[in-house]
Amino acid sequence: MKPMLSTDLNAPETTVEKAKIEVKNLNFYYGQSKALKDINLSLPERSVTAFIGPSGCGKSTLLRVLNRIYELYPKQSAEGQVLLDGKNILDRSQDLNLLRTKIGMVFQKPTPFPMSIYENIAFGVRLYEKISKAEMDSRVEQALKRAALWNEVKDKLNASGLSLSGGQQQRLCIARTVAVKPEVILLDEPASALDPLSTAKIEELIDELQADYTIVIVTHNMQQAARVSRQTAFMYLGELVEFDRTEKIFTSPREKRTQDYITGRFG
Amino acid sequence: MTAVSEAATSSAMRTREATVRRFALTDMLFRTATRLSAILVLVLLGGVAISLIAGSWEALSKFGFSFLTTEAWNPVTENFGALAPIYGTIVTSAIAILIAVPIGIGIAVFLTELCPRPLRRPIGIAVELLAGIPSIIYGIWGLFVFAPFLQTTVQPLVIWLFKGIPGLNSLFAGPPYGIGLLTSSLILAIMVLPFITSITKDVFDTVPAVLKESAYGIGCTTWEVTRRVTIPYTRVGIMGGVMLGLGRALGETMAVTFVIGNAHRISASLFAPGTTISATIANEFTEADGNLYTSSLVSLGLILFIITFIILAVARYMLLRIDSRTGA
Repeated sequence: MKPMLSTDLNAPETTVEKAKIEVKNLNFYYGQSKALKDINLSLPERSVTAFIGPSGCGKSTLLRVLNRIYELYPKQSAEGQVLLDGKNILDRSQDLNLLRTKIGMVFQKPTPFPMSIYENIAFGVRLYEKISKAEMDSRVEQALKRAALWNEVKDKLNASGLSLSGGQQQRLCIARTVAVKPEVILLDEPASALDPLSTAKIEELIDELQADYTIVIVTHNMQQAARVSRQTAFMYLGELVEFDRTEKIFTSPREKRTQDYITGRFG
Repeated sequence: MTAVSEAATSSAMRTREATVRRFALTDMLFRTATRLSAILVLVLLGGVAISLIAGSWEALSKFGFSFLTTEAWNPVTENFGALAPIYGTIVTSAIAILIAVPIGIGIAVFLTELCPRPLRRPIGIAVELLAGIPSIIYGIWGLFVFAPFLQTTVQPLVIWLFKGIPGLNSLFAGPPYGIGLLTSSLILAIMVLPFITSITKDVFDTVPAVLKESAYGIGCTTWEVTRRVTIPYTRVGIMGGVMLGLGRALGETMAVTFVIGNAHRISASLFAPGTTISATIANEFTEADGNLYTSSLVSLGLILFIITFIILAVARYMLLRIDSRTGA
């Protein structure tokens, strides 16, 4: 029997659809210490991919490479290739602001900007598009509807974004991300600071958004990964251990370490 | 055996009660001490206000409201009016703040967002050293170095440049003395710059990294993040820094006395000599012979006290309005 190559191992069984993002031989460093070791994976378009693994395994780091937000910090560096539609975004010539309009990100804690609800959404749109007030109004409305927040805030669009509850703030952040019309949405534990009801709403939202967007979600919550994602990557100590269809990972994983993690034996 | 343990328990209870009683005493002492300290502030403030009012009574009762509106300041005929020093104080402080705020915020943005790491500490330390220079040094530097420089190069150029432009030509009218309102404003701007910079830098550091990341995450440039996220998020702190700087500028005495020219008049030109409240007091206290003269100087002090108070109150009110508008 042929020894399994890591690329074989990481390829999901159903890779017929087009890959939106391909990560090739990616290494990542915080100063001297290596946080990601030779990551290879391919994220199919218009579907949800979950990254799971114990704390410090590099799943958030991997996510932060995908829109190069790590570059805000001078000591962090990435090697290898990340192809977005076949174009390497780690390339020096890649315009960062443009990249980030294509790849939106939502963080663990809600981060509304210190401005009104309306402005929170209009702000990002206005950066790259000149549109009329009426168009902007409908854009804001669409984004808020998309994020299932419209009914709750339509009468107080001029109130501060900070006046909303935690769950609403997080949906506002998703609306803000959607409004810029990205192609990919990165979610870094988007529901870990929220109550179960808000979490359910966010998950519903993710389910709807995958019709139009390629979504990557980092989560600590394995049930959540199982519920929302189509494929799951299990990471451990900076390595990608296993990447496959979600039901495969959760029912019959190939690797012992995956098995141990999902059954709660460590992590 | 139960009796023994009960005895042990009750003795333990007694020690505990004694300890609690001891705590109660020290607690009471502590509470009283802190309360007295807090009351002391009120007493001091009240004392200063009362002595200022008492000292200025003679002048104010003689000149009445016209003390505020007269420009004349004549020790020989004992006719005093505070308009020129009030004008000088407000104008120099306002110009100083106008210059120092954008530069201070600029330095803070550079230090927190853009500065290469090795440069960050040296620049930060230099800014703090600027705050540590005694004002007398700014004064002599202003008089012997900065004013002659302005007199020979900058002022003639500006006068020539704005000669034909109405408004500006009277604002920057000659002759170039070197010393004057604008020179004082520039020195004050340099002096308040470190306050504004270091406070702004500190409050910029309090902006959560993740908030900035999310702004960068929708494609903002550093300018847009600073303008739309960092500054709005920290406006209360920045305002605090500006107010601290303004307070320093209003009250600054030594450096201003050196370079303002100490002339009791109001001229349209910023190049003309003028005076401020604190410069007048510092200059003339030793030579104030009559009671009325002294009382007039104390009245100036009272006015400065009130101006500072009003500015602080306005700042508070502005902050309150901003807060209620954004609901933060």
